[in-house]
Amino acid sequence: MKFIRSVTDVFGYSPFKSLRLHAEICGRAVGLLQRQFHAYRKEDFDTVEKLRDEIDELEHEADKIKEEIRGNITSSLMLLVDRHDLLNFLTVQDEIINYCEHVGHMLTFREVKTAPKDIWDEFDILLAKIMEAVNEYEKLVDHIATLLASSFSKKEIVEALLHVPEIENLEHECDMIQIGLHNKLFNADDMNPLDAHLMIEWVVHLGEIANNTARAADRFRIMILSR
Amino acid sequence: MLTLIVILAIIVGLYMAWNVGANDAANSMATSYGSHALTLKQIVFIAAILEFCGAVLAGHRVTSTIAKGIVPIQFLDQHLVAIGALAALLSAGFWITLATYYHLPISTSHSIVGAMLGFGLAAVSQGYLTLSDIHWFVLFKIVASWIVSPLFGALIAFMVFTAIRIAILDRYDIPAVEHVFRYLQVGTACYVAFAHGSNDVANATGPISAALGFLGHETPIWVLAIGGLGIAVGIATWGYRVIETVGKRITELTYTRGFSAEFATATTVLGASMLGMPISTTHTLVGSVIGVGLAGGLASVDLRVVRKIIISWLVTIPVAAGLSIALYTIMVIFL
Repeated sequence: MKFIRSVTDVFGYSPFKSLRLHAEICGRAVGLLQRQFHAYRKEDFDTVEKLRDEIDELEHEADKIKEEIRGNITSSLMLLVDRHDLLNFLTVQDEIINYCEHVGHMLTFREVKTAPKDIWDEFDILLAKIMEAVNEYEKLVDHIATLLASSFSKKEIVEALLHVPEIENLEHECDMIQIGLHNKLFNADDMNPLDAHLMIEWVVHLGEIANNTARAADRFRIMILSR
Repeated sequence: MLTLIVILAIIVGLYMAWNVGANDAANSMATSYGSHALTLKQIVFIAAILEFCGAVLAGHRVTSTIAKGIVPIQFLDQHLVAIGALAALLSAGFWITLATYYHLPISTSHSIVGAMLGFGLAAVSQGYLTLSDIHWFVLFKIVASWIVSPLFGALIAFMVFTAIRIAILDRYDIPAVEHVFRYLQVGTACYVAFAHGSNDVANATGPISAALGFLGHETPIWVLAIGGLGIAVGIATWGYRVIETVGKRITELTYTRGFSAEFATATTVLGASMLGMPISTTHTLVGSVIGVGLAGGLASVDLRVVRKIIISWLVTIPVAAGLSIALYTIMVIFL
């Protein structure tokens, strides 16, 4: 609009809504990954490929949000949290979906035929646990809204951060399941070695999803507490 | 000839008042639209009425400062004063129009002060006044008030929002608190409109009353009413669009934050009006918003605007004064 004089530039870019959206997309990607494993087990490989593409799309969407946030956070902004803490947090949160994408692709490398049922069951348990951790993580990040509304009141901070040890516990449980799976896979003498190798890769990368979820939760805590 | 000049000054003064309503008043009211405390129609209605009331009931002190506080017009021939006032209005009006076209966040108050100073300096150069006749101390106080007012707005806003945060937000349910503050923000919106009218009407009525030659006594109510009317018309004919455009960019403002920023702005501006200081309401609003931000009330405040405002101060005074000197010098020859 022409002929307008305004000082409302003082209301700067706020990244918090986008941060929540980014976390939500990470959650959706983990959900798709879980469905992808179920499809794989049922040997529905068309669906596996379709879901891989969907995860790719989500990853691309998350990247765009990340770019938007990084591109708009300038040093002239006075944010409620430290700029570097926020960007560090975002980087780790982004790793969650990056690893989802890796695993999504790894499921399309090869059709594993020689894995015993108990190994597949363990994968189901691991994915359910990762899903649980990510859901808990989303709840944590959703607290941004109430934290902002209350101007980071002590009560709201305490309430939000209750989710962090919860997430760390879930991540620890994921570790335990991973160790069990590794044990089984390295002793699955009847398995095709390539099948076993690929599944070991899955376990490692799925572990990274859980690890980064816990790390992002920790970064979130640092961001909130070191304001 | 004098009558013609005075009539011209009133017309250009009305254009000035229209500008004040179209942009400055609209900017001050945009926070109420941004937080959805009021609808656009309600804001236009409130702003038009309360700006008018502020202008008529509390606009005389700043008007007097602009009219005779800077240039000692009692030492000058009435004909020259009328030309000077017209030159000041024309140059400030031109600069404001240009700056508005280029979206520069300049202040109408700063423009008219610079322009009146230009008129004074031109009178000095022609030997009608000496340099020491110019009321430099008043000018110094005015410039100081430009620096103090945003800081004061920031301080009040910081204190008000901190008090709200500790005493209310920490204890009660946030949506319930915000709901109550929606009604309180309607109050501060009225307060802002009144305060703004009382201060910025002078940008138009100051030179008009100088041109009319009201020297020893108060500015008559009808002059203030003309200014108030010009502001109201500015809001109704153009300001509503500015409120809409600007308000849409303010999405992060809740009622408690809007209340704090508006209360601080209005209090500072009304205080300045009582002291007869022509300050910028929008710059005070920026200070107040930063104050709310410092108190932890806003997700993000962009401090780049501070630099823009300082640059606009530095540019406005010489430009408005220079234009005014040039116009006055030319007009004295022909009129």
